[in-house]
Order: sequence, then C-alpha cells, then structure tokens
Amino acid sequence: MASHTIRVLLCKTTMESHDRGVRFLATKLRDAGMEVIYLNFLEPVEVVDTAIEEDVDVIGLSSSVEGHLAVLETVTRQLQMRGHRRVLVMVGGVIPEEDIAPLQAMGVQGVFGPGSYVSDIIQFIHDHVPARV
Amino acid sequence: MAEKTDTITPQDVIPMFDPRFLAETQRLEAQWRKEFNKIAARFGVDPATYQAYSHSGLPLKPVYFPQDVAHIAYEDIGSPGIFPYTRGLLAAQYQFMPWANQPVMGYGLPEETRERMDYLRSQGMTGYFGKTFYNLVYDLVSHEGVDPDHPAAKGRVGQCGMAVYNRRDMARLFDGLDLTQINVVHITGYETLPVFAHYLAYATQRGVPWNKLSGNTMNWYYQSAYCGMTTFPPQAGVDLAVELIQFCNDQMPQWNTLNLFGYGMEEAGATAIEEVAFSVAAGLDYARACIAQGLAPDNFLPRFGFQIAQANDFFEEIAKVRALRRMWAKACKALGASKPSAMHVRIHTHTSGVVLTAQQPLNNLVRTTLHALGAALAGTQAMEVSAYDEALAIPTEASHTQALRVQQIIQEETNITAVADPLGGSYYLEALTSQVEEAAGALLAEVERLGGYRHAHEFIRERIETSAQRWRDQIDTHERIVVGINQYVTDEVQKVEKFKVSAGAEQEAVRRLHILRAERDESRWQAAMAEVDDAVARFAHGENDHRMIPAMVAASQADATTGELMAVLKRHLGWRSPV
Repeated sequence: MASHTIRVLLCKTTMESHDRGVRFLATKLRDAGMEVIYLNFLEPVEVVDTAIEEDVDVIGLSSSVEGHLAVLETVTRQLQMRGHRRVLVMVGGVIPEEDIAPLQAMGVQGVFGPGSYVSDIIQFIHDHVPARV
Repeated sequence: MAEKTDTITPQDVIPMFDPRFLAETQRLEAQWRKEFNKIAARFGVDPATYQAYSHSGLPLKPVYFPQDVAHIAYEDIGSPGIFPYTRGLLAAQYQFMPWANQPVMGYGLPEETRERMDYLRSQGMTGYFGKTFYNLVYDLVSHEGVDPDHPAAKGRVGQCGMAVYNRRDMARLFDGLDLTQINVVHITGYETLPVFAHYLAYATQRGVPWNKLSGNTMNWYYQSAYCGMTTFPPQAGVDLAVELIQFCNDQMPQWNTLNLFGYGMEEAGATAIEEVAFSVAAGLDYARACIAQGLAPDNFLPRFGFQIAQANDFFEEIAKVRALRRMWAKACKALGASKPSAMHVRIHTHTSGVVLTAQQPLNNLVRTTLHALGAALAGTQAMEVSAYDEALAIPTEASHTQALRVQQIIQEETNITAVADPLGGSYYLEALTSQVEEAAGALLAEVERLGGYRHAHEFIRERIETSAQRWRDQIDTHERIVVGINQYVTDEVQKVEKFKVSAGAEQEAVRRLHILRAERDESRWQAAMAEVDDAVARFAHGENDHRMIPAMVAASQADATTGELMAVLKRHLGWRSPV
C-alpha cells in the first residue's frame, strides 16, 4: 500500500455527456484523501501528457458510450513508450464484458462497470498503487 | 374557452369544501391518527418522529384528507384544456388519439439507422394523425463538431448515435420517405445549426418547401450547466438559440424550435423539484431573449417543447408533470402569452435511464413499465421508453421492440386512455402537486435572483451534483434500495444479447467523407464557406444580419460537413469545457 498522497487523474472525452459517475468518484476519492485532477479531453494524447505533467499514480477513464478501447490503446502504448509503466490505469462506465480481456492485455488493471461501489475502487487503488521510492 | 384572465382576489376563490364538511373530515383524521399510532407502536415506531419523504425530499403524510387540499384554489386544479392546464393541455386527452410513440434511434451508418426506423414503424410505432415520428440521435463525432477522420473520432463513429455528417448522409437516411408526412426530431449536442442546415438543404434537393417540414431541433445550449460536453459560452448559446427560433418563426411555423431538457437534468442527478425549476428557468431565460429580439410570445412559445424524465417515485413524478404544466402556464401568461398553445407544456417523456441497472437487466422491463404508466397517467404527449438493456449498450432490435410494446400494451390493454387525468382530485396527488410547485417555485426564484439561467450555471451544476451524490450515498448506506445492486443480489448472470455497431461503419464513414471532399466543387464550397465565415463573424460581434442560417444551408448544398461548419462557429464564438 502506498504511504504517500495518491494522485489520480480522472478523465472522460469532451464528446461524452455522461459525467455523473466520474464526478461522483472524484468527490469520493478526494474525501478519501487522494489528490484528484479532472480532465475533459478531446484526444487520448492529452491524457498521457497530463498524467506525466501532473505525476499521477492513477489514470481513471470514464466511458459510457464506447470508444474506450481506442483511447486506452493509445494511452497505455504511450505510457510505455514514454517510460511511465508504473501508472495504474483503470476504466469505469459501460464496458462490455468481452472488452475486459483485451483491456487487460493492454495493461488496464481495473474495470468497473455500472453499479460499482466507490469503496471497492478505493480499495483497488490502495492495493495496486506501489509505494514511491 | 373558459380561460380566466382577471386576477383572482381572495374573495373570488370559491372554497372546494364546506367548513362543516372539513370539520367532520378533521375529526375523521384525528380518529385515523389514533389507529395509525397504535399500529406504529406495534412496529416499535414512535409516531411522533415517524416521517416519510418523497425522492425529492418532500415530507409525506401516511394518508391524505380533504383538509390537505382545502388551501388549493380550485381554479389551480381546474379542468383538462383550461388554464393553467394542471390536468392536461387539451379537453380530450387520449380518447381520440393516444400519445405518440417516439423511441430514440440512431447508430452506425445512416442506412443502418434507417433499417431500425423502418422496422419499428412496421411494428406499429405511431405518431399523430397518421404521421410517423422519428426521434433520431446523432453520434458523438457529430456532437463534438468534428469530422469522422479527426484523430479524436477514432472508436466513436456511429456510436451512441448515427454517423450523419452532411446532406448526402441525410439522403441515405431519408430517401423514399415523404418529408411532409414525417416528424423528425434531430437529437444533436450543440451542432444544432449545422444539422438543421443539412436537413433544409436536403429538403430543397427533394423539392420540399421548408414550411412543410415538421420536426424538432434541440437548441439546448443551456444544458452545458449540467452536461460535461464541450460547449459554447452561455451567452453565445442563447444567441444561437434565438437566431434559430427567429428563423423558424418567420419561415417554418410548424417546426419545434427548442427542447427544454429536464430529462438530462434528471439523468445528471436532479430531483423532481430541480427538474421542474431548472427547466422553467431555462425556458424563461430563452423566452425573454426572444422577446428582447421583438418576437411575440404567442408566436414563438407554442414551438417550445419539454423533454421530461419519468423516474422512480411513482406519484411524485406524476405530480411533477402536473406542477410543471401549472407553473409554465402561469409564467408564460406573465410574459404576455394569451393563446393556450403558447402556455402549454408539450411533453416528450423519456423514462429514466439512470435508475436502470446492468445487473438483472430484465428487471428494467418492470421499471420502465412503471415509468411509462406514470407518464401516461400524468398526460404526456409523446414517449420514449428505455430498453431493458439501457445500462449495457444501445438497444438491439428485440429490446427496442420490447420497449415499444410496453407503450402499446398500456395504450391498448389497460383502459387508462378512457379517462383524462385519472388521478386528478386525489387528495394525495393534488397536495403533492402543490408541494412540488411551491418547492420548485422557491428554487426558480433563486435562479432568477442570480440574474436568470444563463448566469446561474455554476449554481445549477452544484445543486444537481449534490442531489446526485445524495442519491448514490443513500444506495451505499441502504437508505435507498436498488434491486440487484444493494438488495436481492444474485451471482446468477442474466445473459442478454448486446448490440454492437457494425465493425466496418467507421471505415466506411471515413471513406464516404473522402469521396465527398474529392467530388465536391471546390470553388463553390470555398465561396460558401467564406460566406458562412463572414456571417458567423458578424453574428459573433453584434452585427447580426441574419445571414448565418441561409449561409449554412448554402454551404451544406455545396457539400460542407458538420465538422467544417462547427469549426467556424467554434472559432468565432468560443468552445470550451463547461462549468
């Protein structure tokens, strides 16, 4: 479990109107003592740039309208290419079951579907964010 | 028409009940109270502290009596078809024509959406007077105002809406349909004007005069107060909306110009009270802006429509609709409206999506049936019933049809269409209608104190978000039960077939775009775009000469795309993240 203040980048595309879940999550992660950066992005590269600039431990993408595979493919590939393999990548929203295996293959570790509990997400973050050296 | 135009003084109000009668019913209530308390005690409940609430937080009594409605002016309950229309807009409700079936459709390529349109029509989807209503949603790429070959479009073409980006796509969608016999709702994000221009350009191509077109533009820039999409600044949004309203006022009298999107507020977290207050606030803000441009309320107000959610608190949601009708009628009258249609809340119901669950998805059929029944009892004009797979994906043909069957079964089998406002006069419902109206009125006053809706985006966002949090907190603490989420949970998975947009749609949309660009007359397109640029620049800098919409139609005729037209609007008006 991490001993430092965990920094989380929560994001969703500007095309998506569904932000009820991710904004709720932002509040709850802040209540749980994490630092949360919230980003509306157009292109996936903005997520990677922001994650690196802000030195975050976690990227959480919200998607309720498909398109998450394309975004996360770019995000995970660029994180690797740019040497930021430690960042924990999660996705939440309406994620079809059959996407879970390809997401895991990309290195997306957490998938949280509709109805998920925030307490489970917080636990997941604590379990998976490594301590900073 | 027995419309009351004079102000009512207290002496004029005829009390609904004789004082002797009320004395008797109060005695009855005291008697009931004793019996109720005895039962409460058996359950270990202290009746002095026992209190139930509506989902909006309004206090509810265990039962209602005549004295609970005695304070209401009878004129405020009134009659269907008579101001203030609490009991319904028209003297006849569903006796001669039921509400219109208006399922939302849109996915993949235009011809794929067309297949669904034709299929649901073949399954009995019916509008008014023999017309078919097509409630069509555009895809995310269109909403963002980019073209399908933009890097940000990857994975999103034809998702959550149809890949329709120009006049040629309109032809793929509508060829063979008589445009004068259909009603088309164009569900856009903020790309209202480019899409409108494509439709008009396509109508011209078909030789159909614009004033023969029926349908609806969203024109809902105000929703940036509670939706997380990129947007124009609030004032620019008002200006764009008024421009379209003015255009239709002059040239397209049958066209519905504005959609007041209470449903979106509810989906974002708004309570019934907030949905009513903020819908009315948005409507008033835009109406005043129209009046400031010299438009007459009796001309433009009849073309405002409402899209209202029907959610879980069965009676409060019905009371909400009735309270909204009363509030809006009175507000419009105060603005100077005198025609009944200028005071009507014409409602497209969208049954709540946010209360549906991915877990045990067939349960959603039960939920949506209750929502649809509530909307019908409230007297809605048109209905979209969410499909049972709403929380999983956009609907399959089977789930879409099933949702249509929910409407048809209520319309054909239950006999509720025989009587208008069947719950009118219920002590509970009338009391609750007044409670919702009063609470929404107080909230509306707060928005007005901030200078009206366009100046209150942050306030509205905060209120709705707080309600969303309360809702989820209540689920997490089991104060609110959601079957399949925090109660009656099972590990057994109900397998339902899920819809997927066809794999080749994105590539094909991009290919078509490239063909369009290669084929179009470059110099004609350039001249048309230059005209759009000039008209929008003037519009943005307070020199509006009303050339913007005609210029966009001409550009669409020259094969301009939604992405290209939106780029001009964004450049001159600003485009940014919402509050």
